[in-house]
Amino acid sequence: MLERNIQALVTDDPGEETPAEVRNRLKGRFPPGATRRMTILGLMVGRALSELDPREDDSIIYASGYAESGALEGFLDSFPAPSPTLFQTSIHPSAVQQLMIGRQAPVGELLPHSGGPLFAFHALRAALLSPAARALVCGGEERGTWLLEHGLASGRAFAFAASLSRERGPRDLGRMRLIRDDGDGQLGLAAWFDLLHGRTPFSGVIAPGWRMEIEWH
Amino acid sequence: MAESAASVRVAACGCITPFGDAPASHAALLRGECALRPVGVLGRDGGDAVPLALVPGRSLDETAPPDWLAALRRLHGSIPEGRWGSPGSPVFVTGSNFGVGGLYALRRTGDGAFAAWGALPTCTERLRLDLGWGPDVSIVSHACVSAHLGLILASRVIGAGLADEALVLSFDFLSPFVAGGFHALKILNSDFPAPYRERDSGAIGLGDGAGFAVLSRERGDWTLSGQSLYNEMHHFTSNRADGSGFARCLDPVAGVARGRKVWFKGHGTGTLEAGRLEVGAARRAFPGAPVVGWKGSLGHTLGSCGLVELAIAIESVRTGRTPGTIGGAGSAMSDSVALESFGNREFDGVVCASNAFGGAHAAFLLGHA
Repeated sequence: MLERNIQALVTDDPGEETPAEVRNRLKGRFPPGATRRMTILGLMVGRALSELDPREDDSIIYASGYAESGALEGFLDSFPAPSPTLFQTSIHPSAVQQLMIGRQAPVGELLPHSGGPLFAFHALRAALLSPAARALVCGGEERGTWLLEHGLASGRAFAFAASLSRERGPRDLGRMRLIRDDGDGQLGLAAWFDLLHGRTPFSGVIAPGWRMEIEWH
Repeated sequence: MAESAASVRVAACGCITPFGDAPASHAALLRGECALRPVGVLGRDGGDAVPLALVPGRSLDETAPPDWLAALRRLHGSIPEGRWGSPGSPVFVTGSNFGVGGLYALRRTGDGAFAAWGALPTCTERLRLDLGWGPDVSIVSHACVSAHLGLILASRVIGAGLADEALVLSFDFLSPFVAGGFHALKILNSDFPAPYRERDSGAIGLGDGAGFAVLSRERGDWTLSGQSLYNEMHHFTSNRADGSGFARCLDPVAGVARGRKVWFKGHGTGTLEAGRLEVGAARRAFPGAPVVGWKGSLGHTLGSCGLVELAIAIESVRTGRTPGTIGGAGSAMSDSVALESFGNREFDGVVCASNAFGGAHAAFLLGHA
């Protein structure tokens, strides 16, 4: 069994907010001028992660299937004179780097994942196997436009960041574990987010041979 | 930073470059051959001619299905058979490009056939089905240290007893998307790269590449130890000027390499500042270790470079001969830079290092089991 305690959790479910509304809502969370080149995902993940106050000895496990869809679309639209800024911000794991470079905050370990039907299992397994005392699991998606029409972007925006600790603490929110199981199942990133956002207790098979349990105190 | 994963064995390892498999690539490097050729940066859409190394028969222009699939299937054919993707034999697919060439073609032509392999999840799922893997396929993408991350994650799964063996596969095939992006950053231009050479301005070349490693708890002639990561988070495309990011990553590797005589397979893309910082950090962490870089010939194979160059490093040790640093003329940045090939029988370890955007660093020690 692999297990960690949920020390802190930040979630952001903007629903039908437009990108401009998200930007306007979150820009005050960053230093003046810092948000001009930030992506929507960078703003949402950055805000969530910043509330966990990441440290150099943390392990950051970043999860996003489609990542910076807006920057990607913009970069592709910029040809035949491709934009260097959009190129670098379109690269996985730009969302985390936008926050951390803005803060000039080094981190030993950054493990960026994409994923599909077993995304929750892969990201959680990486977090639970990290040797760091604190594993910060963060991620999310931003809504695509023309890439979405081709099934190459998320239709929904969301973001989260959770601090997972080996040691129990008096203010822990709950516990997450992976347990061997004979069953079969899957859990994608958005479904995992919904469980975290709703503080929903869960016990179910999320990958062949693996059950995830989430307890809330 | 601490060592990131326990020591693990390499049961099998291989690669594909424009020269062919690992033995062919190693032999070409020993002959001093350069795979880079001037190619229009936007393929059929033209643009400046920049140094690119493409797998023979492949065009920079995307096809649907992608023409790089044939190369990847060839590489996959050399992977030992296993129940890859089953719970006891997980797969870690890593890279920085995946199917982005298809996105470029989709946007230019509007042909929906290019969408099939476009995004990371869709590309990997297509690949999984094509190669006959089970569902346990992780996707890891962190630009040019992607392959190292796959190795670390696989090592941890094995170290925790969740699997006896794991497959790490990494691939990056060029397209106008990535060539155009690096050209926009002005580090991919008409100059050919000259890694670890002093010159007026730096330049890189890009190359097709794919590699794999089967990691095992008990099986294999080689070990990976001291796996280390560090992220400077100083700037998207440059490093801290004091070289501290390189040093922080190499410290744990130096710890496990203490007492050994090693050579250093560096990242060495051909950019000047990063080259000087890397050579300086390598000299301090591993005094007397000759430094080599092969991207002046192969081009920078991006997220796959860690595995491609691991396969060539293993071939170097196996044959007793390490290819020198290829590309350009003029003086080396340090007398530790090996410009010529050398016999390596007297060495008992290889430090393999890669770097990426965001000041990301990764390194490990390769040794005999």
